[in-house]
Amino acid sequence: MSAETKLRTYILENYLFTKDPSALNNNDSFLTKGIVDSTGMLEIIHFLQDEFHVHVDDAEMIPENLDSVNNLVAFVTKKTSPPA
Amino acid sequence: MTSFLVHMLRTSAERNPRAEVVLHRERRITYGEMWSNVLRVAAFLREHGLEKGQRVALLLENSPEYIAAYYGALAAGGVAVALNSAAKMRDLANWLQHSGAAWLIVDAKHPEFSQITARYDGVGLRLVLVGDGNAPEPSHAHSWDDVLTTTPRVDALLDAAEEDVAAIIYTSGTTGRPKGVTLSHGNLSSNVASILQYLKLASMDRCLNILPFYYSYGNSVLHTHLAVGGSLVLENSLAYPHKILERMAKEKVTGFSGVPSTYSLLLNRTRLSDYDLSALRYMTQAGGAMAPAQIKRLKEELGHVDFYVMYGQTEATARLTYLPAEKLFDKLGSVGIPIPGVEILICDEHGNPVPNDVAGEIHARGNNVMLGYWNDPEASRHVLRNGWLKTGDIARRDQDGYFYIEGRRSDMIKSGAHRINPKEIEEVIAELDAVAEVAVVGVSDEILGQTIKAVIVPRVGAELSAMAVQAYCHKNLAAYKIPKHIEFVTELPKTASGKVMRYLLSDQKALNQELSL
Repeated sequence: MSAETKLRTYILENYLFTKDPSALNNNDSFLTKGIVDSTGMLEIIHFLQDEFHVHVDDAEMIPENLDSVNNLVAFVTKKTSPPA
Repeated sequence: MTSFLVHMLRTSAERNPRAEVVLHRERRITYGEMWSNVLRVAAFLREHGLEKGQRVALLLENSPEYIAAYYGALAAGGVAVALNSAAKMRDLANWLQHSGAAWLIVDAKHPEFSQITARYDGVGLRLVLVGDGNAPEPSHAHSWDDVLTTTPRVDALLDAAEEDVAAIIYTSGTTGRPKGVTLSHGNLSSNVASILQYLKLASMDRCLNILPFYYSYGNSVLHTHLAVGGSLVLENSLAYPHKILERMAKEKVTGFSGVPSTYSLLLNRTRLSDYDLSALRYMTQAGGAMAPAQIKRLKEELGHVDFYVMYGQTEATARLTYLPAEKLFDKLGSVGIPIPGVEILICDEHGNPVPNDVAGEIHARGNNVMLGYWNDPEASRHVLRNGWLKTGDIARRDQDGYFYIEGRRSDMIKSGAHRINPKEIEEVIAELDAVAEVAVVGVSDEILGQTIKAVIVPRVGAELSAMAVQAYCHKNLAAYKIPKHIEFVTELPKTASGKVMRYLLSDQKALNQELSL
């Protein structure tokens, strides 16, 4: 299963409580759309650690890394890629 | 005389019109501009027929528009009914109907906007839309631009007596019985005056506010800072705590208010010492008990900041007690002493005062105690007795007169900044055909204090998944009311008289033992 699929499934099932893929656009802002609140964001960080072994530094806890499926996918890809 | 709050805002605007009152995203609004907009809202409402005492509902996030609408409604003689913007249509429709609102000033981007306009456009409720949304514009609604192009008129201001109703705050009721805490102008002004005395707020104070204004705590932060000519920096989420701290440093914020989960997030996900918070003068905490260990950690990182622990209730406008900052470590764990103008007694079940160090119910008296619950004299009589408010909170008082909260008499769930009535969630879940019985309780949570657990007995032969239950709640309830934990059981533990033994449901081990008997 790709990172995108895992992340989409996690958000859909845990915050929108559905398996319907049309309920979530990959660019939807979690905050603006009211999908995830501050404690939900902590749960996503735990999910990234458990599922992808990605440790989120405090300073990395910013919307550019975490506020949509696309942002999460890019962040996980960056963190799991070997250094160039 | 006009409402005390409106009078104070006017005084601040006349004294220093170029001072900043609110900073929201990229916008910086001055007192002069805000006062003009308050007059515009008042003139608009009066010109469109608002009568004294009519309810003006607001469904807006914290913003300059919220402030102008709230103060404008008061200035025009209306009653401000700020609705919880996280609520779903089910609750919103219930509150609008129960309050008999004549107007609704609503954010066009609100997720329930389409449903609101479909139901109310041109039918009974008059709408003012703030901002642009994606849904088609209703044909009978006014826009915020209509308000802003109204000529500001001082003669639109209406006098308000201390006992006149100023605001209704809907708190933890149920669909069948909403609880609209009804506050007078005198209630609001009295609580503001008391808070100003102990926090020593002044015009140079600048508070970063993340608390929703539609709750009593946020409401008091708003009114106290505007009353002294201070300013508010608005941030509407704690999801990215670094952004909050960056803004506090950049704007040289002097004050910050939060609930225990706010401080828990800041302590666990940031290093406060990485930010220049040298301008920070005070922090306040209410909304449930904060662990003494967390308070100590916070003071270790921010030793120069006065930290105020406080206690209150919406029914008391907001505040009942505070712990003076200099007593924080002497009386760690205490919620302090009564605020100026408030008396507190600890009473037994018959209403008789108990000696020091004996636990009993908190009874409070003062000009901040609500008029009652809107249109519910029976519920009002239940908590208001001979001028005293029965809070339902259990506490003791030590020999020095400091109060310590020991629990609650009710089953109310406290999660983050929210007080949640489990019956409201049970009502919704019980609507599912596959549910035979349900009980909802709070279970301990490290960050939020409590999260919600629903224990469900499915009908025989019915299929029901946890996700189906949560999905139905998601459709009908604010996100913070959706149970995090769902458990299916064959029966609920009950007393001989058939009452659900809720305390067993919060404790999994005890529940298993009880059901195996």
